[in-house]
Amino acid sequence: MVLTPDFATRPVISFQHVFKTYPTGTEALRDINLEVPEGDFLFLVGPSGAGKSTLVRLLIREEKPTRGKIFVDGVELGRMKRRKLPYYRRRVGLVFQDFKLLPNLTIYENVAFALRVLGEPDHKVQARVAEALDTVSLSGKENTYPANLSGGEQQRVAIARALVHAPRFIIADEPTGNLDPATGWEIMQLFLRINARGATVVMATHNREIVDLLRRRVIAIDAGQIARDERSGRYHDDVEKPQVRVQ
Amino acid sequence: MMLRNLKFAFNSAWQSFWRNLAVSLAAVLSITLILILAGINLLVGHAFSQVLDSFRQRVSEISINVADDTPLQQVYDFQQRLAGDPRVAGVKFVTKDEALAQFKSDPQNGVLTQQIEGNPLDAKLDVQVKSLTDVAAIDSLARNWAGVDPTDPTNYQGDFINRMLQLSQWLSLAGVGLLVVLSVASVVIVMNTIRTAVYHRRKEIEVMKLVGATEWFVRGPFVLEGVITGILAASIALALLVVAYEPVVSRFKSDVGFIPLSYDPAFISSLASDLLLAGALLGAVGSYIGVRRFVRI
Repeated sequence: MVLTPDFATRPVISFQHVFKTYPTGTEALRDINLEVPEGDFLFLVGPSGAGKSTLVRLLIREEKPTRGKIFVDGVELGRMKRRKLPYYRRRVGLVFQDFKLLPNLTIYENVAFALRVLGEPDHKVQARVAEALDTVSLSGKENTYPANLSGGEQQRVAIARALVHAPRFIIADEPTGNLDPATGWEIMQLFLRINARGATVVMATHNREIVDLLRRRVIAIDAGQIARDERSGRYHDDVEKPQVRVQ
Repeated sequence: MMLRNLKFAFNSAWQSFWRNLAVSLAAVLSITLILILAGINLLVGHAFSQVLDSFRQRVSEISINVADDTPLQQVYDFQQRLAGDPRVAGVKFVTKDEALAQFKSDPQNGVLTQQIEGNPLDAKLDVQVKSLTDVAAIDSLARNWAGVDPTDPTNYQGDFINRMLQLSQWLSLAGVGLLVVLSVASVVIVMNTIRTAVYHRRKEIEVMKLVGATEWFVRGPFVLEGVITGILAASIALALLVVAYEPVVSRFKSDVGFIPLSYDPAFISSLASDLLLAGALLGAVGSYIGVRRFVRI
């Protein structure tokens, strides 16, 4: 089943008949067709093992599709040369459930890390890290180490690192998975602000409350296939299930 | 940007070296031992080549004995022919009288000199051959010359020269073999050290790759760390070898006097550049291989 909403803007991400089978024989994705317009905010939902994380891995080119094509900004990821890959990843901001912060670096150094690998000069690094930390409301904690921060604060550092090089896409894999509901909501507010500034956000999540509250585009994946693609969707299509209503 | 990346790589390598100090030191010591062995190999090789050179000098000279009734013009012609041969470095004609004078001047021949009546010695052509391998050809050329003394044509000792050539070939082969074994051993040691460092920093590498670091940006610090390890090891090995070189040679000379081994200070600078280069190269290659699997994007 292919449900592609009719957006006016051109798609920046496009999956065309994408299949992914792992060498073990596991068929993770089957015939995925998907278009994401610039500035979109979409949730990927579905049970564990449905294929959400595989889709994210394909998007950041940690994996290649077995069949089909994935275009990002007009470039086919499957045919991208390995040496071009770092330059592609610099256009993407990544946020993970386990934050992936470096414990031996301070908050400042963790965020600056994303700019250091680009070879940015010190004055630029300082200004942009300060701005990113301000966006996630962590100014003043520059010299703290990740271990001394709460889970929510650590995720904010990870978001600051994903933002600091001003990427056009933010790809988040269960960013609220390790957080309590209130902190998860704070983190979502951040993503909404980033999206409002023009970045396209693709987020795999299990957080039903948030998905149902925000009523953004929802793509439900089940057994490796797109089961639903709704412009203003909910976590479940079964309306009998309890829902949190948007006030 | 290049400079900034280099600075980042160097800081990162230095930090990693100190953070895993125990492993780093173990690697430095192991490579030091290997480079000491390599250095000894080079020094022994150099000493042998010095000894062989002096032997070569002696055996690449061949004396052609001239028959008594050979006309002088024929001798001069042959001398000229030899002098024009590209394999020959120099020819000297020694007359019968000069040969006798030379013989008499050698104190070892004192008793014999008193018993000699007249001059039984041949006049001779002393030929300096450029390459040891050409001595046999010059010898056969001389033997076919009409003016040669048929009873005792030349002083050529083919067997001895062949054995010398064989020995020198075997020695250089053994030296190269030993160097190969030592190189492989040190590459494996550096590889494992760097793998340990990479294992400690795998999370950092993962994050680097995810934020768009190029493979060389990730690999650079590890390769530099290997180079630092190698150069440190080479410096220690070199210092120890330089300190030990002179006393060992003089001890050897006093114990085994007949082998003309000598202390050659000029060789130290070539040893230093060889060892430092080898240390840096082995460190870099070991790291490159050790880190390759982990940095592939």
